[in-house]
Amino acid sequence: MAVNTHSEPAKMEQIITEFFAKSLHIILESRCPFVSSRNYSGEQLHSTSSSASSSSSIRPRDKWFNLALRDCPAALENTDFWRQSNLEPMVVDVVLVQRPNWDYVSGSSKVAVEQNLLSKDRFPVVWKSDCDEFGCDGYSEKVIERWIVRYESKKGCKEGSLGNKRSSSITSHALYKKSILLLRSLYVTVRLLPGYKIFREISSSGQIRSFSLIHRVSSSVEPLSRRDEAEMQQFTFTPVDTSCGKLCISLLYLPSISDTTSESSTPMSPQFITDYVGSPLADPLKRLPSAPLPQYSPSSSPYGRRHSWSYDTSMASPPSSLPSPSPTYSESRALYSKFGSHRPPISPRYSSLEPAQVHAKDIGYDEYFPSPNFSPSPSPSPPIGSGNMLKVLLRSDSAPVYIPASRLGDAPLSSNKAVLPFSPPLKAIGPSISLVERSSSIPSTATKLSLREEEISRPSGVKISSSSSPHKSSFRSFSRLSFEDSYDDSEFSGPFVVDDDDTMDPGSRPGSSDRSGNLGMQHERVKSQDAAVGALVQMLKKAPPLQQDLNRSQYVSKTSRPEYSSNQVQDHPPRASSNMSSFSRVSGIKTTADALEELKGYVDVKQMLLKQSGKP
Amino acid sequence: MNCEVCQLKELDVEYFEIREVLRCILHTIFFHRALGLVRPKDVDLELFEITYVQCGDAELEKKVDEKIDQFIDRVEKHPNKKNQICLSFFEVKNKQATWFTHKVEHLYWEQWYINLNVAHHPKPHSGKSHHSKLVLDPGESALDERNARRATLESSLHEVLFQIIKFVNEKKDHIPPIPNMEGVSFPYEITISSSSDSAFGMDMFKRMLQTGHPTMLS
Repeated sequence: MAVNTHSEPAKMEQIITEFFAKSLHIILESRCPFVSSRNYSGEQLHSTSSSASSSSSIRPRDKWFNLALRDCPAALENTDFWRQSNLEPMVVDVVLVQRPNWDYVSGSSKVAVEQNLLSKDRFPVVWKSDCDEFGCDGYSEKVIERWIVRYESKKGCKEGSLGNKRSSSITSHALYKKSILLLRSLYVTVRLLPGYKIFREISSSGQIRSFSLIHRVSSSVEPLSRRDEAEMQQFTFTPVDTSCGKLCISLLYLPSISDTTSESSTPMSPQFITDYVGSPLADPLKRLPSAPLPQYSPSSSPYGRRHSWSYDTSMASPPSSLPSPSPTYSESRALYSKFGSHRPPISPRYSSLEPAQVHAKDIGYDEYFPSPNFSPSPSPSPPIGSGNMLKVLLRSDSAPVYIPASRLGDAPLSSNKAVLPFSPPLKAIGPSISLVERSSSIPSTATKLSLREEEISRPSGVKISSSSSPHKSSFRSFSRLSFEDSYDDSEFSGPFVVDDDDTMDPGSRPGSSDRSGNLGMQHERVKSQDAAVGALVQMLKKAPPLQQDLNRSQYVSKTSRPEYSSNQVQDHPPRASSNMSSFSRVSGIKTTADALEELKGYVDVKQMLLKQSGKP
Repeated sequence: MNCEVCQLKELDVEYFEIREVLRCILHTIFFHRALGLVRPKDVDLELFEITYVQCGDAELEKKVDEKIDQFIDRVEKHPNKKNQICLSFFEVKNKQATWFTHKVEHLYWEQWYINLNVAHHPKPHSGKSHHSKLVLDPGESALDERNARRATLESSLHEVLFQIIKFVNEKKDHIPPIPNMEGVSFPYEITISSSSDSAFGMDMFKRMLQTGHPTMLS
């Protein structure tokens, strides 16, 4: 033990100081994915070759409380303040940061890219999913855990006289032993909380996450909103008495993280996405009999990620430009893997919250699928996309709002150790894993704006930096490749395009206008002559590239298929119109007359098809 | 010295779950009782979404596994419903030979009782019962039932872990001074008892007679 050489009060004080440091270390070690060396590779878990035995050197820091921890720079740089014998409370907030939800679903990346190519600054919001949380508004933040480590001194006791009065009753050895016990409990508890699953999720796989964890270490308690606090559960460790006070650790935590996600400020919650990505994948066959819109989009392919395309392609892409920037793809994958594969096992544990979730989900569902037609369909993406798209477009007109900036103003952070969520990499910051990399290139808060632009100009790199995985490099290159592809509408050499070809039903391959044209005639379609379809496919394959198609397809679906918009997607008209406006703003390449011209062509084809299929 | 006793919540487990459940519980206890220098090792359960912590002490790990093997063996041979594992911590006192003949005395200061209710599939009576012991039923509902049961067990196990944490937190005064060995737990023993419901108390009583009631030792 490291407490031999000093007087009893000095020892006590040192123990208390080290206790703060160790507590912080324990908490951050399992909440700060960037520094984690947690070996999470299945096989090794039960073997002896874990970090426990591999790093056998014991540093002085490890000896404290007989608990050797892994390195955690974030913890080290934050403990200085409390090491200076300031017996102030230490408040550690663990914050879940989520990207705005509509980014996954909207499938609007194509549009987003175009908009940004033309006017980077006008629609910064659209870019959010593709840049990162840094400085972007719309990111939902949620405190999922609040740890408070504090030393409560008894009245009449001053720090300087620690242990003087009743040193006989509590020795430093007793204090030390109990501190060890408390820290062991802390160590175990940290791993049993829902937040640990998020940490694991982030740090264990190579997928790009739609969420990340950041932490703030401060010496003052920034009040949580009443709503947040009401949701949280409290856990208080039994305080350890010292001769002149007591050491306390208390915890507020969200008992269910998925509960959190339903709380996000945007109406679109990951909850919804769970449904959306997960269900087709969970049961691809189930969709076939019930899906009312098999031709609506490539969503007829049995993979969840198709759904992330569906909206995109149905409204924006001609057959030859199926590729869209990879972010959509990776987001949905990431989301799926989190909520699709991991959520079910989580939920039973916090089963008390399940009903609420289900309820929320239902509401969301109903909201977007009022049509009975739609309800059995596990492919809700198009309407979601549309609803969100609308929001995107609406919001894109307003100036970006920096949440962090407002926080700066609100937060009653009194100490120099106060950590601001998105502020740049001053040493006092407890940077989030994903922020760390980034922050090194960012000099100060003042440059936030320019940073944003910089990110916009090379989004893939920045975005990928949030991945702390071994697959990072491959992901990076992949993402960049596909991103570059997206600059060129007519090119589609992204790997996943080939993929699409493999699995896509030839009948649903044709471009958007075909798809929308087919929507209202599923029955006819079944009977329709292959030849006619083939001809249509041929024609569509020769169809001009995306931008023209955008207008066309929107127009078609809006004007010529009223039953579609009313039956299938209630909020379709607003979507179409908003899209129209944005497109005209964006492209402006084709005149309305041109569009109408082409539209007529398609309408004719459709009429022909209808006739043919109706007669035989 | 007091002997604190902690009866952990009974868990309904299936045969194949015993190992993980016991590992998780035993190591969690040990982590709180191996107060020497440890380098903790996180272990994710395979059957449940739970991460527990080991001390990173190979010797201890080995002993725990041995005991679990022993336990499983015994469950297999004597398929009793109720099974109990007791993890006891004691101090060794070299007693001077007085009127009592023992030379070495175990001063128990803490006992943890892990209670397992092991379901045995082949039992005919458990066919479609609503009991939590689950049966291999090839039907569709069996899968649901199985999942539900698994979820229940996971949450119960979670509860047990928090029970351990709470106990550790609340009871600190009875723990003897930390032995001067690195990473090694206080002296401990793991005893297994399984019996039918009726004989259970008797068994406990016998064991108490053998080891001496804790309170008599203080």
